[in-house]
Amino acid sequence: MPDLQLLLNASTTGTITAMAHDAIDSHQLTKTLIRFQAICALALLVMISGLDLFFPTQYALQAAVHGISTISALVVSTYMTHRAYFLLRGATVNYKSLRKWTLGSTTLNLLGAISGNWIYMRYRGQDGPKEWIMQNAPEFHKVLMEFKEFVSLFPFPLMVVACFALFYYKDGIHFRHDIKQFIAIIIMASWFFLMLGFVSGLVLAKLRFV
Amino acid sequence: MNNKSNSNQHSQDTDLDTLQSDIPVYSGPIVGATLSALLGFLTLVISHHVSRLTKGLDQTIHAYGHWIPGSTGTGPDGSIGSYSGKETLALFVWFTTWLIFHCLWRKQDFSLRALTPLLIGTLFFLMLGLFHPLIDPVVLFIAGLFGYASP
Repeated sequence: MPDLQLLLNASTTGTITAMAHDAIDSHQLTKTLIRFQAICALALLVMISGLDLFFPTQYALQAAVHGISTISALVVSTYMTHRAYFLLRGATVNYKSLRKWTLGSTTLNLLGAISGNWIYMRYRGQDGPKEWIMQNAPEFHKVLMEFKEFVSLFPFPLMVVACFALFYYKDGIHFRHDIKQFIAIIIMASWFFLMLGFVSGLVLAKLRFV
Repeated sequence: MNNKSNSNQHSQDTDLDTLQSDIPVYSGPIVGATLSALLGFLTLVISHHVSRLTKGLDQTIHAYGHWIPGSTGTGPDGSIGSYSGKETLALFVWFTTWLIFHCLWRKQDFSLRALTPLLIGTLFFLMLGLFHPLIDPVVLFIAGLFGYASP
C-alpha cells in the first residue's frame, strides 16, 4: 500500500508518475494490434480454402482459387460496409482511399464470379457433386444450388455501380449527401448477397466436395 | 504522421468548402447504372425460369453462351451449360441499358430518397424470384398462359 502523501507529493512535482506508469503509446499500440488482428484473421480464414490445394482431388486448384477469392471478397466487403456507415452519416471520408478499396472489392467479386464458373463445370461434371446430391439430397441442388448460383452473381454488378459512382462524381460527391447514402446502401446490398452466396456455397461444399 | 494526414484532410475539406456548388451534380448517372444492373438481374431470373420449361428453350438460351470457355463439354470436367447463356443475356441487357440510360439521364436529376426503397424492394423481389419453392407455382401459372406449363 503506497504512502498516499508521498504519491500526492510526487504527482504534484510531476516526477514519479511517468516512471512508475510507463505505458506504451496507446495510439501506436492500437494501430499495431488492429493490423495484427486483421492479418491473422485474413490468413487463417484464407487457409480454410487454401488447404484445399492439398485435398485428394483433381480439382483442388479450382476449389482453392474459388474459395480464396470468395473469402477475400467477403472480408474486404465486410470492411467496406464499415466504410459505408461513414458515407451514410455524412462523416468525413477519405475518398481517395475509398475509391481504391471499392475498386479492390469489385475486382475480388469479379474473380469470385469467374472462378465460380470454373468450379461449376466440375460441379456439373460426370460423378461430380451435382450427381451425388441429386441422388442423395436432391433438394440441396433444386433449391439451394439453383438459388446460390444466381444470387452469387449479384454482388459484382452492385460493386461496379458503387465503383462507377465514386470515380464518376469525383469531388462533386461532397455536394450530394443523397448520392453518398445511395452508394452506401448499394455497398451493403452487395455484402448481403455475397454472404448469402458464400454461406450457400460453403454448405454445398461441406455436403459434397468436388 | 497522423497529425500530418489529419491536417491534409482538414485542408482538403477547407478547399472543398470554398468550392462553389454551381458545378451541377446529377443523380441520373447513378440511377442509370443501378437500374441497368437490376435489369441484368431480372434477365438472369427470367432466362433461368424459361430455360427450365423445355429442353428446346434451354438449348436456345445455351446457344447465346457458347463463347464462354467451359460452356460446353462432357465427362468429369463438365461444363456450365445454359448458365453461360443466362450470363451472356444478363451482361448484354446490363451494358446495353446502362449505355442508353447514361446517355439519356446524365444531365437529369432524380430523387434518390424515393428510389432507395424501390431499389431494396426490387432486390428483395428478385431474390425471392430465385427461391424455387416460392416462385415455381407463379412461373408455372405464367408459363401455362403461353402453353408451356408441364404438369
